[in-house]
Amino acid sequence: MAELRGSHGEANGNVLTRHFGTRDLHKIDVYESKGGYTALRKALLEMEPAAITNEVKTSGLRGRGGAGFATGVKWSFIKRDTPEPKYVVINADESEPGTAKDRYILENSPHMVLEGIMIAAYAVGANQAWIYIRGEYDEPYRMLMEAIGEARDKGYLGPKPMGKDFPLDIRVYRGHGAYICGEETALLESLEGKRAQPRSRPPFPAVKGAWGRPTLLNNVETLATVPAIINMGGAEYAKLGTEKSPGTRLLTVSGNVKRPGVYEVELGATFRQVIFDLAGGPPDGRKVKVFWPGGSSAPVLPESMLDTTTDMEALAAAKSMGGSGGVIVMDDSHCVVRAAYRLLQFYAHESCGKCTPCRIGGDWAVRMYERVLANDGSQVELDNLRRVSDALQNGRCLCGLGDSAGWVIDSTFRHFYSEYEDHALRHECNAGKVMTSA
Amino acid sequence: MNTPRTQSQGREFAGTPGRALSQHVIAEIRELPGRFPQPRSAVMPALDLAQEELGYLTPDAMTEVAEALNLDAGYVEGVATFYSLFHMQPIGKHRFYLCTNLSCTLRGANELVDHVKKAIGVSEPGELSKDGLFSYEGVECLGACEYAPMARLDHRYHYDLTAEKVDALIEERRSPRPHLTSPHGGEGPAARPARKPRAPRKKKADG
Repeated sequence: MAELRGSHGEANGNVLTRHFGTRDLHKIDVYESKGGYTALRKALLEMEPAAITNEVKTSGLRGRGGAGFATGVKWSFIKRDTPEPKYVVINADESEPGTAKDRYILENSPHMVLEGIMIAAYAVGANQAWIYIRGEYDEPYRMLMEAIGEARDKGYLGPKPMGKDFPLDIRVYRGHGAYICGEETALLESLEGKRAQPRSRPPFPAVKGAWGRPTLLNNVETLATVPAIINMGGAEYAKLGTEKSPGTRLLTVSGNVKRPGVYEVELGATFRQVIFDLAGGPPDGRKVKVFWPGGSSAPVLPESMLDTTTDMEALAAAKSMGGSGGVIVMDDSHCVVRAAYRLLQFYAHESCGKCTPCRIGGDWAVRMYERVLANDGSQVELDNLRRVSDALQNGRCLCGLGDSAGWVIDSTFRHFYSEYEDHALRHECNAGKVMTSA
Repeated sequence: MNTPRTQSQGREFAGTPGRALSQHVIAEIRELPGRFPQPRSAVMPALDLAQEELGYLTPDAMTEVAEALNLDAGYVEGVATFYSLFHMQPIGKHRFYLCTNLSCTLRGANELVDHVKKAIGVSEPGELSKDGLFSYEGVECLGACEYAPMARLDHRYHYDLTAEKVDALIEERRSPRPHLTSPHGGEGPAARPARKPRAPRKKKADG
């Protein structure tokens, strides 16, 4: 494995990453020597399924994939005692720009993910789990397959895990390159062998999910946190972080910082702490100009808002969001308009084409940006961008991709409108590059 | 779509004249639906097998996948063209999937793309190098942002890329030393797509 860049070891209240960096942690024996699978044993042998779900509710854990929905509440939506098959589907299709934390977890401790999955499956009464992993993740895939093999050999997966009469199986399905599969209903479509286009909700996956069955969908990091919650107790976990955003989460810090990495932070830490203390701040002689606090879909925040805290409430108040925890930092040598253009290219490219505002709007925005950046712009282009941005947002599309594209325009307008005016009205750029995609 | 019918190259190995995919691949594909709650889920794993044999997906191959799975050929093509990891054109033996999203671009990804183009002698994404070995594609975030700029090449991630590292990766592949060649990719430089399925990896594809 490559050099570990990010949190590992016992320091700083690391909950997930405490044992990361331990040699061969991906092997089941080493994982167990560090206390691995004790939570599963406890859950299967000492706890009622409803008590497990309650423990997760008590912990206040919120989904780490992007939407931040209360995990325990989501689990309780699945009616456990119905005879029909149920599934747990794990979203390992990490593809939000600037986010690498699920890969970090899978490469360091695949068994921690498996343990979380098994606990969740038992809690909601699913005998079968499917991990949907993005196709480009070759190494995490190999490690997962190896870990699943080990867990089967040990009997943790199989007809009677830990002696409990509750058959458990985990299988892996590889994605094939589509950002939209990170959206839960698009992921389900893909798992069913279709083009990944989001479904209309309701029905929600908890009622009608994979192959028409009740399905619990959780992100890798969310489930990887579950063993710790079972071990330490929900109430103890809830003491970490803030009241409404308890716990720790992994933030991927990338871009113009000295020490990019995947850092575990207690929610409530400020972005200044994350970007400067953990990631080393921007290169010498440079200043932070703008940062994306939760992946490219999270509305940008300017340097002046570095003291915003990482909990979801503070980010919502700052008109942004925690999203996937991808903190992209851009310094003052780069141009915000070009960066926004690059992201709009991304959203236009990744639109699945189902909803008209997103299918058309992304391309419109890209064309406006191209004119502006070719010094061919005017107030007309800026007004059009504003109009497209509005049309993409506020529930006009089935999923969040359209909103995300709109937020890029909207938030860069909000904080950096003068740079747009420089480009469109005065045909000049006050800073550097960030060019188009190749 | 006007794809050259290079699948004739497959015949010498497959021994199935007039077919794009060899019998053993078709047989493997027919087994896939049983692994899922509903058979349709097999379509992408099946396309994987087809692409592994041919290097990319030809219309004939997609039709044969459809026949093996009792699906409509148009449906299969519709799925294949939706996902960026299915290729409708030859991609050469080694494709650089260079991340060009924001985190990598902020650390020099565009300069790297220019360098790769020059180094393999092509002017646009998807174009094959003269020796047929290389091509490149600028892709969206590959989820390894702490190692930016990075790329995926030959089912591996390559981190902290520089022009020198790119040159070394290319050189290793142009003149592979014996111990660097994989068991199924050891034949010298050629435009031929990889034909042998990587059986061990795929066998476990459904866990």
